[in-house]
Amino acid sequence: MNIDLTIAIIITMVGASTPLLLAALGELVVEKSGVLNLGVEGMMLTGAVVGFAVTYTTGNPWLGILAAGFAGACVSMIFAFLTLSLFANQVATGLALTIFGAGFSALFGQSFTGKPIKLFKSIFPDYLTEHPILKVFFDHSPLVYFSLFMVFAVSYFLHKTRAGLVLRAVGENDHSAHSIGYSVIKVRYGAVGFGGMMAGIGGACFPLLLTPQWVEGLTGGRGWIALALVVFSAWKPTRLLAGAYLFGLIATMEVYAKAAGGGFRIIPSELWASLPYLATILVLVLISMRHKMSSSAPACLGKPFISSN
Amino acid sequence: MNNEQSLRLELEGIVKAFPGVLANDDISFSIKKGEIHALLGENGAGKSTLVKMIYGIMKPDEGTISWNGKPMNIANPKAARALGIGMVFQHFSLFEAMTVLENIALGMDEKMSKKALEEKVVNIMQKYGLSLDPKRIVSTLGVGERQRIEIVRALLLNPKLLIMDEPTSVLTPQEVAQLFNVLRQLSSDGCSILYISHKLDEIKELCDSATILRGGKVVATCDPKKETAKTMAAMMIGTSLQAINKVKSKEFSDIGFSVNNLSLRGAGDFGVSLKDISFDVYRGEILGIAGVAGNGQNELQLVLSGEILLKDKAKITMNNIEIGKMSAKERRKHGLCAVPEERHGHAAVPEFSLNDNAILTARNRQNMVRAGMINAKSAKQFTTKIIDEFNVMTTGHGASASSLSGGNLQKFIMGREILQVPDVLVVSQPTWGVDAGAASAIHQALIDLAKGGAAIVIISQDLDELLELCDSLAIINEGTLSQKQKVGVMSIEEIGLLMGGVHGENSSVSSSQKEVMAQ
Amino acid sequence: MQIRFEKKLEPSRKMLFATPILVVVLTMILGAIVFSILGYDGLGAVREIFLTPLTNSLKWQDLAVKAAPLIIIGVGLSIGYRANVWNIGAEGQYIAGGLAATGMALLTHNMSGWYLLPLMGVAGMLGGMAWVFLPALLRTKLKVNEILTSLMLTYVAIQLLNYLIFGPWKSPTAFGQPQTVLFNDWQILPYIIKGTIVQAGAPIAVLIAIMAWIIMSKSVFGFQVRTVGSAPNAARYGGFSENKTIWLVLLISGGLAGLAGMLEVAGPFNRMVPQFPTSYGFTAIIVAFLGRLHPIGVLIAGVVLAITFVGGEIAQTTIGLPNAAVGLFQAMMLFLLLAGDVLVRYNIKIVRARRA
Repeated sequence: MNIDLTIAIIITMVGASTPLLLAALGELVVEKSGVLNLGVEGMMLTGAVVGFAVTYTTGNPWLGILAAGFAGACVSMIFAFLTLSLFANQVATGLALTIFGAGFSALFGQSFTGKPIKLFKSIFPDYLTEHPILKVFFDHSPLVYFSLFMVFAVSYFLHKTRAGLVLRAVGENDHSAHSIGYSVIKVRYGAVGFGGMMAGIGGACFPLLLTPQWVEGLTGGRGWIALALVVFSAWKPTRLLAGAYLFGLIATMEVYAKAAGGGFRIIPSELWASLPYLATILVLVLISMRHKMSSSAPACLGKPFISSN
Repeated sequence: MNNEQSLRLELEGIVKAFPGVLANDDISFSIKKGEIHALLGENGAGKSTLVKMIYGIMKPDEGTISWNGKPMNIANPKAARALGIGMVFQHFSLFEAMTVLENIALGMDEKMSKKALEEKVVNIMQKYGLSLDPKRIVSTLGVGERQRIEIVRALLLNPKLLIMDEPTSVLTPQEVAQLFNVLRQLSSDGCSILYISHKLDEIKELCDSATILRGGKVVATCDPKKETAKTMAAMMIGTSLQAINKVKSKEFSDIGFSVNNLSLRGAGDFGVSLKDISFDVYRGEILGIAGVAGNGQNELQLVLSGEILLKDKAKITMNNIEIGKMSAKERRKHGLCAVPEERHGHAAVPEFSLNDNAILTARNRQNMVRAGMINAKSAKQFTTKIIDEFNVMTTGHGASASSLSGGNLQKFIMGREILQVPDVLVVSQPTWGVDAGAASAIHQALIDLAKGGAAIVIISQDLDELLELCDSLAIINEGTLSQKQKVGVMSIEEIGLLMGGVHGENSSVSSSQKEVMAQ
Repeated sequence: MQIRFEKKLEPSRKMLFATPILVVVLTMILGAIVFSILGYDGLGAVREIFLTPLTNSLKWQDLAVKAAPLIIIGVGLSIGYRANVWNIGAEGQYIAGGLAATGMALLTHNMSGWYLLPLMGVAGMLGGMAWVFLPALLRTKLKVNEILTSLMLTYVAIQLLNYLIFGPWKSPTAFGQPQTVLFNDWQILPYIIKGTIVQAGAPIAVLIAIMAWIIMSKSVFGFQVRTVGSAPNAARYGGFSENKTIWLVLLISGGLAGLAGMLEVAGPFNRMVPQFPTSYGFTAIIVAFLGRLHPIGVLIAGVVLAITFVGGEIAQTTIGLPNAAVGLFQAMMLFLLLAGDVLVRYNIKIVRARRA
């Protein structure tokens, strides 16, 4: 295989993985606190449309990203209020959030169809981004570096800080955490908000990193794959990175397989397009065969916390 | 040093009442500095209520708690910890997926750096010989190691009094020995220990003095080293049982239900494994299975009722049919009914109507099903019959189970099974939380059912109930069931010893045995 | 001051039925406000979406057409949700059912006879069941969460649809259009009311809802589903197998979604086209919840959601409201319903002062 193609594939793969990685990192923190927010897809769509709109109107993709994160956090608060304060069913509320995000983004995005936006300028000098070999490290959107930074930031937060310790404790045994004196609800509100922000930014990656235009439903179920990735990662940020890149590679293969022709032609493109979803199922199967889910999932995941006093 | 000063904790006239129950009735005793003091009593004797007041979880209605000679108002557990009172609960509050050190850090009231904490933890562990790797994940630890985390948590606060609630109920003999070493060392350092247990041998081995509770009252304070396990058992269980008025032992001929060499691995960390359990119950006989909670009763109940299926169908037989592999539904069709201990969500569905709760177990035996459809009329008839015959206080057959009081729901559940006239009935805690009048009605119904030829197994922690009701008795301890014996033949001491895990003394005859046999 | 929730001994039945009505009214009010803020004619939007489909008798037949698949899928989903089994991939099962029915139609294209439609119906149901088979197997054997597996298969179903109509099933006479041939007369649902567009789907939906009602309230199976969903331990004690229940409810919801797919492809579409996935399978989730997981409730909720669809189309032409607005209304309705549930299960008390 020639080296230029390999590098091109890697760059495409990293790009395709980034929205997944960001959204899944957010959801990982949410689930670590014991909450299952199935609305990732909806929050991503919300972030995508807001990110696009702000970038289009201001011409500044950085503002677009900020707005996307803020919008994601805002809609996640609807979920937080319903599930944490009103004890609504987390599964149903997450679904509602997805339907909401789909409706909101379709409505709000309609007027942006076919309009162009400016993307991020590269943050590295040309001789690095255009270097035939080194560009594999430098020819990426700033969002890619942000996502990588967040992998380590989340990992550090969860395992090296006291706040992260408390967050994990709340997800592990909410009643014990409550009796020791931690506010379960406050911690969970914070986690859900962070998850919303990350999903919003992840969603904004679609127009601001992948294809610079507005397409309705552009996330195409990536929010759901992000949920599966969290399971795949066994709630570990670094394994999430590997998982996201694996899925990015599968998604990228569709593009390059078509271009490559030859033997790849035998496999219909629809099968390539189905691969990420089939791979998700396969991963879920392998995970549950290999170790008991109970040992790695936060013990309180998806269960409402109703304080007894 | 005068006597006043050497007292660490002094309780005077402690009274605590709950609706309908006087849990602690005028309790007074004291613990000296460095003393290991046992608090001994059966389930429901009032031990845990008393301890919760010392640790600030509850407040006494009357009486004073004095700490180092001064009367104290202990507002909450944090205040108790600030005084120097530490507690190791029977059920640990640990975070499974976290390391030992993280668990300890989460429980600290004061903040300190991870490094400083680790140093402190390692120091304490070395000092008391508590071997524990601070970096291990809790879920990979055994029960004994988990308990050590709780002990370290308590020791980090430099306690002057350490309360241990049934600490050995889940430990292996080796772990018990290690624990005792730690406790003795603590005591020699001047830390007092309040040791709650019902295990007589352990108390004799470890404790300097013992306060024995029964029915919320102090019945004795003694030096366990000077007592025998038997005398303590007698004090713990009481001699009020002499008054039992029971028909002289009947003779039985047909075996109705039998369990043969049944073993089962316990599920999870707190599940108890059943070890080679065998017994026969004759038609017309009531067999009681006594024991302290958590010794395998739940597992036995589930495996007998068919909620846990066995691989070998011959392990359980009824009327000469092998039913070990049959589901609960199949067993019921063959005439085996059961009542589990937990009412809400197990014996009954709280949000369902009484009607639906009757359908839950009685649908096949009471002809409520025709061609897959439920016959509402016969369901209603049967429900109404239960309500009438067992005096269930409710607004009617349509009321939800959750709207009934615990006692009334228990009457309903017992009625539902007894009125199905099973050949075999397996019941856990038949009168748990039921008032005396209703309890005797349930007892009468059980006796009548047995008279009609049913084989009945009653699993209960209430020894009085078992002695009153049963023809024969076996004791379950750590998943092992003792030989079944006629109630009149077994002495109170023997029962107490078996419940306390002392085996192999079942041949001795004592004077108090005659008391039980006397009618 | 502090708001406290105290769990009611019994869920309030009054509130159980009152909240969905309250929710629809609140959605209209909130919708008017939100859409006014967004710069649309808020009141007009509510009028066109919620009222015009009811007042304009010409639109009633549209309601029947749209409500039928929503009701059929919603009934199936509600049975599963009752048992705490979360099939959210009904859209995929609906597509698979449509494809299976299409396959049967193509196979029998040169045949004729009344039996062709029932044959397609069976194929549709089997197609839907096939699409839920894997999630059921994985859930019962390996405890793999059915939410993700059933949803992932939806995307696979869409790809399968594309593959078939762009490839092997493409009509040779469609001038390169990605679609199958038109079904023959025996393969198209009959119109039940002359001069309208109402086909057999609508009465079948009503029939299914009524049958489900009887089964869920009167049969042992319905009782089993409710018991497994409310108290798994009690279900085991009562002699019900949890795994069997999961299998049954998943096969039923998949089968019904597949049937809805067959009724759509043999009804309004008459052939398989790329526009076949209309997200009825997703909307049916809202229908199931709004209908309180009760078959008759689902029947009513199906009509309510159909109103919003038809109303959305009206609002698009009359006041230029984008079609996507409907989705927003539907999501709002579901949010409000979930929030309203707190009234059913809890007493809300305002506590004046905190105790020290």
